[in-house]
Amino acid sequence: MQSVNTMSSLDHFWLVIFCAIVAFIPRFFPLLIFTKRKIPEWFNEWMRFVPVSLFTALVVKGVFVDSKYQIITSGNLGLIIASILVGIVAYRTRSMTLSVVVGLGSVMFFVLVLHI
Amino acid sequence: MKKNEPNWLVALRDVMPLGLSYIPIGLACGVLLHAAGFNHLLTALISVMVFSGGAQFLIASMLTINAPMTTIILMMFFLELRYALLGSSLSRYLKGQPLPFIFIFAFSMNDENYAVNYLKFATDKHWQPKQALMVEHYSLLFWTVSNIIGSLIGSALTINLTVVDFALTALFIYMAIMQTKSRLTILVCVLSGILTVFMLVLMKSTLGLVVSTLMASLTGYFIERHLLAHKPDSHLLYKVHDPTRQTAMEESDK
Repeated sequence: MQSVNTMSSLDHFWLVIFCAIVAFIPRFFPLLIFTKRKIPEWFNEWMRFVPVSLFTALVVKGVFVDSKYQIITSGNLGLIIASILVGIVAYRTRSMTLSVVVGLGSVMFFVLVLHI
Repeated sequence: MKKNEPNWLVALRDVMPLGLSYIPIGLACGVLLHAAGFNHLLTALISVMVFSGGAQFLIASMLTINAPMTTIILMMFFLELRYALLGSSLSRYLKGQPLPFIFIFAFSMNDENYAVNYLKFATDKHWQPKQALMVEHYSLLFWTVSNIIGSLIGSALTINLTVVDFALTALFIYMAIMQTKSRLTILVCVLSGILTVFMLVLMKSTLGLVVSTLMASLTGYFIERHLLAHKPDSHLLYKVHDPTRQTAMEESDK
């Protein structure tokens, strides 16, 4: 594509390296610090609420917030219904595979066939 | 589960649902990076070095609008800050591991394999850091190969990003449900959801995810501490009914 040729492959290479560095820092240092030191009990108790909060945050971002950080008010009905279906399947079957398959199948149907 | 199964097979079985959902997303990501001007080698490199769907989608879209390199790197920094939370919450399961292990583990940790590993550590007493690292490397393999294939196919593939993205959303819904053990957790979920929308719109960056996660989890912690101390028979501490009456670990073997 003509419009994107302002960067050479060497530029892209350095971009990858820098991105890898900024991705590595927050992955590494908290892990290093908290595996080497004694963790206070309140910290562990608090951390037990982190995964569920983070997963919910990621789901809500995927369904209700677009890439420009605006609330999606229309056109995401299919995603909402599919999310509820996945929730029911996950709750009843406790199967990760089934949840993902049902999710993909239903979203394809709602978005590609019904266009909702 | 067979007791004498080798470690690599156990890990592969647990990573399979994630690996399969990585295929469409990885293909899409490869296609987009190719369209943004990345060659096949660089696509492979970024998949291994950055290993984050969200980040790679962001880089591809920033490159197509000719954003300057410093802007992209700065956005990446804010996008990736949430990994600090993942590391912190996994740390108690990785205590006593040597520095090289922590280094390699941190290098390939991302949202999705963290989700798989956190669930395994929380439900399976026999889950080892070594197996957790295998889960990371299997998911990395699925991700990188899908990215390279996507890059090779290039524009021959038309993708609907809404559909592809939902594979991960479905995975996170499953994970959130599996983590919901008490009524209080449901309250934390609702709070986290509302805060997420508010903070993302307010901050216009994925830093909103970090802030809302911190606020929701801290609120959950303080409510639980208060209830345990003052109202130990509160309805909020009731366990959520599990229709299968089995732990997550046993069920995932079906």
